[in-house]
Amino acid sequence: MAGAKNHDYHILAPDIWPFIGALAGLTFTSGMVMFMHQEFFGDLWHVVLWAGVALLIATFFGWFTKIVNEAQRGDHTPVVQLHMRYGMILFIASEVMFFVGWFWSFFDFALFPNTLSEVIGGEFPPKAIEAVIDPFSLPLLNTIILLTSGTTVTWAHHALIHGDRDGLKKGLWLTIALGVLFSAIQAYEYAHAPFDFGGNTYSSAFYMATGFHGFHVLVGTIFLAVCLFRAYKGHFTPRQHFGFEAAAWYWHFVDVVWLFLFIVVYVWGGWGAEIH
Amino acid sequence: ADPAVAEVTDSPNTDLSAASEVNANAAENRSVAEGEVVAGDEAGGGFQHFGPEMIKGQPEAGAYGFQPQYSDNGRFGLWMHDAILMPIITIISFFVLGLLMWVVFRYNKRANQVPSKTSHNTLIEVIWTVLPVLILVGIAVPSITLLARQYESPPENAITIKANGYQWYWGYEYVDNGGFEVISNMLDEAEALDAGEPHQLAVDNRMVVPVGVPIRLQTFGSDVIHSFGIPSLWFKLDAVPGRINELMLTIDEPGIYYGQCMELCGALHGFMPIAIEARTLEDYNAWVQTQPGGMTVEQVRAQAAQEAAAAAAPAAAEDAAEQDGPAAEEENAEVAASEGQTA
Amino acid sequence: MATTADGFTAHHDADHAHAHHDADHKPGFFARWFMSTNHKDIGTLYLIFAIIAGIIGGAVSGLMRWELAEPGIQVLGQIIQFMGGDGTTIEQQGHMWNVLITAHGLIMVFFMVMPAMIGGFGNWFVPLMIGAPDMAFPRMNNISFWLTVAGFVSLMASAFVPGGPAGNGAGTGWTVYAPLSTKGSVGPAVDFAIFSLHLAGAGSILGATNFITTIFNMRAPGMTLHKMPLFVWSVLVTAFLLLLALPVLAAAITMLLTDRNFGTTFFNADGGGDPVLYQHLFWFFGHPEVYIMILPGFGMISQIVATFSRKPVFGYLGMAYAMVAIGVVGFVVWAHHMYTVGLSVNTKMYFTAATMVIAVPTGVKIFSWIATMWGGSIEFKSPMVWALGMIFLFTVGGVTGVVLANGGIDDNMHDTYYVVAHFHYVLSMGAVFSLFAGWYYWFPKMFGRWHSEFLAHVHFWLFFIGVNVIFFPMHFLGLQGMARRYPDYTPAFEQWNHIASWGYVIMAVSMLVFFVNTFYALFAGKKAPGNYWGEGATTLEWSLSSPPPFHQFETLPVIEEHHSHYDHIGEKPAKA
Ligand code: HEA
Ligand code: HEA
Ligand code: CUA
Ligand SMILES: [Cu+2]
Repeated sequence: MAGAKNHDYHILAPDIWPFIGALAGLTFTSGMVMFMHQEFFGDLWHVVLWAGVALLIATFFGWFTKIVNEAQRGDHTPVVQLHMRYGMILFIASEVMFFVGWFWSFFDFALFPNTLSEVIGGEFPPKAIEAVIDPFSLPLLNTIILLTSGTTVTWAHHALIHGDRDGLKKGLWLTIALGVLFSAIQAYEYAHAPFDFGGNTYSSAFYMATGFHGFHVLVGTIFLAVCLFRAYKGHFTPRQHFGFEAAAWYWHFVDVVWLFLFIVVYVWGGWGAEIH
Repeated sequence: ADPAVAEVTDSPNTDLSAASEVNANAAENRSVAEGEVVAGDEAGGGFQHFGPEMIKGQPEAGAYGFQPQYSDNGRFGLWMHDAILMPIITIISFFVLGLLMWVVFRYNKRANQVPSKTSHNTLIEVIWTVLPVLILVGIAVPSITLLARQYESPPENAITIKANGYQWYWGYEYVDNGGFEVISNMLDEAEALDAGEPHQLAVDNRMVVPVGVPIRLQTFGSDVIHSFGIPSLWFKLDAVPGRINELMLTIDEPGIYYGQCMELCGALHGFMPIAIEARTLEDYNAWVQTQPGGMTVEQVRAQAAQEAAAAAAPAAAEDAAEQDGPAAEEENAEVAASEGQTA
Repeated sequence: MATTADGFTAHHDADHAHAHHDADHKPGFFARWFMSTNHKDIGTLYLIFAIIAGIIGGAVSGLMRWELAEPGIQVLGQIIQFMGGDGTTIEQQGHMWNVLITAHGLIMVFFMVMPAMIGGFGNWFVPLMIGAPDMAFPRMNNISFWLTVAGFVSLMASAFVPGGPAGNGAGTGWTVYAPLSTKGSVGPAVDFAIFSLHLAGAGSILGATNFITTIFNMRAPGMTLHKMPLFVWSVLVTAFLLLLALPVLAAAITMLLTDRNFGTTFFNADGGGDPVLYQHLFWFFGHPEVYIMILPGFGMISQIVATFSRKPVFGYLGMAYAMVAIGVVGFVVWAHHMYTVGLSVNTKMYFTAATMVIAVPTGVKIFSWIATMWGGSIEFKSPMVWALGMIFLFTVGGVTGVVLANGGIDDNMHDTYYVVAHFHYVLSMGAVFSLFAGWYYWFPKMFGRWHSEFLAHVHFWLFFIGVNVIFFPMHFLGLQGMARRYPDYTPAFEQWNHIASWGYVIMAVSMLVFFVNTFYALFAGKKAPGNYWGEGATTLEWSLSSPPPFHQFETLPVIEEHHSHYDHIGEKPAKA
């Protein structure tokens, strides 16, 4: 396109992925509604929901492949890279506000436990919660795992900056492994938690907040895995590797959210309760 | 305050698991309750409800201000609106309009060929920042006063009445008078006209309350959020599931005051009006005794004393303990007050 | 003095910037409109979308005014039957009412005002005004648009599936309060409506990211933040509000979803949940949202007032930072929507005081607009007339907001038609008047052809009269105690309601004029030159042809230190 283009901005050719992406979103959410209302939609959700998921994955794949290719082609001039930095910071800012919502409800329940509800009985954790998870067993371990993964990703970054491709790969491998380990432990913790999903405020806020965090860990792990893959393909230079940096920022963000979860939900939120 | 909590949860209408049944069996519940109340009224004999000539709080066709107020706080609010806010906002609006007109006439292209180049004037900018601040401070003073008055805590002799919002009718629970509940449904158009009352506002069983006595008015939502609003008493309080809200209300004179549900609560949100019938304390006490299990506050106290005595003297225990006594209701208020403060 | 600058003309080399090359090679139809990465085309899509949504939302409000014209229930049953239902019971009719007001509120807020202001005018003119060739993320720009469409489809779908025992559609009000929206509305309709907000919200968050990045990063050389046109400032502040407020809404409505379908008890009192928590979360978003809907309007009014007074904006810096102040303070006043939920007295006092504070920066805006006109040489072209109308009517809506801000007074006004009157004065007049002002201001710029100024004035006067007749009597109804969200009312309220509904007819006629004018302009309008408003129009978009080339500023314009309103005024057309 860029004929007489006399600037460093990135002018893009028309692209179908945004349209498909929005369609994917609509298909996915419609599929969710159908899944939640099988009394009305029957088995329709099988098709719709999975079509939505497939389209979403395709969109992410197709879209990000394009971006990577453009980066490799050199379309990402310094100013365009700066765009991406801004974009990523702002995206993370919006994610922070998303978690603010979940913490808000947790604090509301913890500070003003309902006195009329029998399952709560004016206590927090509520009467119905017989025991909470011991914060200083698996959750502490997970804290250490995530903090360590924060250092390994930094190691990878330093290696990248110093042209040490091997270190980059090792650091990424380690970070991803720690991420997977975290998720596995979290899954184990869910499976063995002394309380079920829902039914009272504590377990609602607990599972949704840690669950959304877990989802972000998953996304972050995939993001890092993509970087690892790209590292093997020879992408990234010591001077230009924003894809990697974005993944690292995201990873740190997920890390910080966990610290808050650990302190607020696991330690403070369960203080004084029976542990399991 | 724990025993009080237990009391609240034990009474059938605040029991939360029961609340969802109420939701499901609304229609059934309704007819049962209606039956009860009708029976109570018949038993009363001596008590006569007000006729339409006693209607005081109702909207008036073509009116353009607040309804006349029948409570102290109401008069304060009305005064604040009419004497402070209205003049201020009217003046501001006309001031802005006047300035606009002036520039339109004075600075149109014909009247002023060459535009000035002024784009700053620190003095005027300071003025139009500081002046509004002063005006707002002027508004804040009575505003804060009004709020403080509305939140005065009820005195010892206040009578507790609890308005329960249901989909889609009201239940008035006379906590201090034996704990009976009056179920109140909207009259349809023909019935209302028959009774000489405005339709969409008239109800079958009014909420009877005493005049001149502070009422500790509690609200509670049994299924979804409703809101108990009476324009002529300057009163509105949401009826929220899971918490009991409370505010004090004192009505000046006997009369009928209409209100409506003021929070969207589903299909018939527009069809669950409120009618308060304010009576002298004597009338009120007479009415209370027409209700199933209804007692005056004195009777309740006497009974409580009797029970205490009975408990002390085990011999007398048998017969007294049979009755569903109203218990330490006073403490409800505290619970509710602290509930109301949450968040 | 940088601080005086609210506009300038480009000093760029127009000669070779867009002569006749690639810049104007437009893609084919499908690629151009479905795969767009061009901010102007995406802006156009947003505008078309907003107009369609406005027609639907406006038609729904027509049904509402029809029903409210008289006491009793007249049309709701027929609407249900028209949509294939039964419609004979009062529950069904009442539910239908709730579906209508919910759809009306959501459509107008999320699918008319926001897409028009931010998506439409923001997309079109932010890059043009800062001298940028496009947005920072052109591809993401497009998904923002299509997600908005997806959200709209989801909302429409909700109207055709069960929303509770009483019929189809979501009848929760635009505020979607729990537990009415959870256990009070079984069936898929509310889930579709919730996902509608998720989709549109995601689009808006991405859009906000895009705008902030574009404005921070793509200003033409020499254009400091303090030289940016006020419209750009307004979009910048708006984008921050979106970025920080919408995710909290997303969390809140996700809680609704899990409460509805997966057994959590965030707002379910049986499990200790707190319905009031939902309101806190909603209004933490909802109040900033109302400024999201007006700030871009403020920005457009600033451009227009300056243009037609042929004067620079008075108190430029004050104007910019007033918007920043409105945005910041807007985050700490939310509970003024919740005065009757049972807040403590101290909470109410705080929110009363905090809310009133916003009148100060807003007053700065009103007075600065007037001061801009003061000493000017005003031409009453259609955009200016709409701007004048907006300034007055917004003031009226604003001061009733200050009345509502008083917690003790609001006790007797909350959820009455006084509130409905207040917010239609700021929205259906403040925001919509700004939209029409912007429309007439920029229509020839966007589409290259002139509308009829005469019809634009007729549109204005009829609309002005119409909406005032609709909404002014609502103050009276509210003071007398008429409740919101009621399909029926006691006969005492008939008079004013009847008048209001006639006002709708006047307004509807004016909208016919609008559509006639638009079609006339598109198909038979005179060709518009680059700067058709003359010397008052000084921002960068006026240095381009009308419509601007498909890709503008291929050589970036340079804003020099001495540039202000008085240099290079007039046409500096690209030879396109
Ligand atoms: C564009 C949208 C918009 C805007 C700009 C505003 C602006 C304001 N709003 Fe409004 N509001 C809404 C949209 C908006 N609102 C909506 C949609 C609702 C209802 C939501 C629902 O429940 O569905 C609502 C409801 C609402 C309520 C809740 C009412 C209730 O439900 O009981 C309150 C209460 O405080 C309020 C206050 C204000 C105030 C103080 C302002 C201020 O920002 C106004 C400031 C402006 C001025 C004051 C005028 C100009 C100033 C001067 C000329 C200076 C001098 C003035 C003084 C000294 C007073 N609004
Ligand atoms: C921006 C917001 C907006 C706008 C413009 C309007 C416009 C109108 N509204 Fe409003 N209304 C709301 C937002 C809005 N409304 C909200 C949030 C509620 C509360 C819902 C709830 O309770 O949950 C409400 C509720 C509401 C009620 C109360 C219902 C009730 O409580 O029971 C009524 C009653 O008359 C009403 C009537 C009208 C009418 C007659 C118009 C007319 O002015 C409509 C005329 C049409 C237009 C003015 C639109 C024209 C615009 C275009 C065609 C697009 C132009 C685009 C470009 C130029 C790019 N509305
Ligand atoms: Cu009950 Cu509205
Ligand atoms: Cu607000």
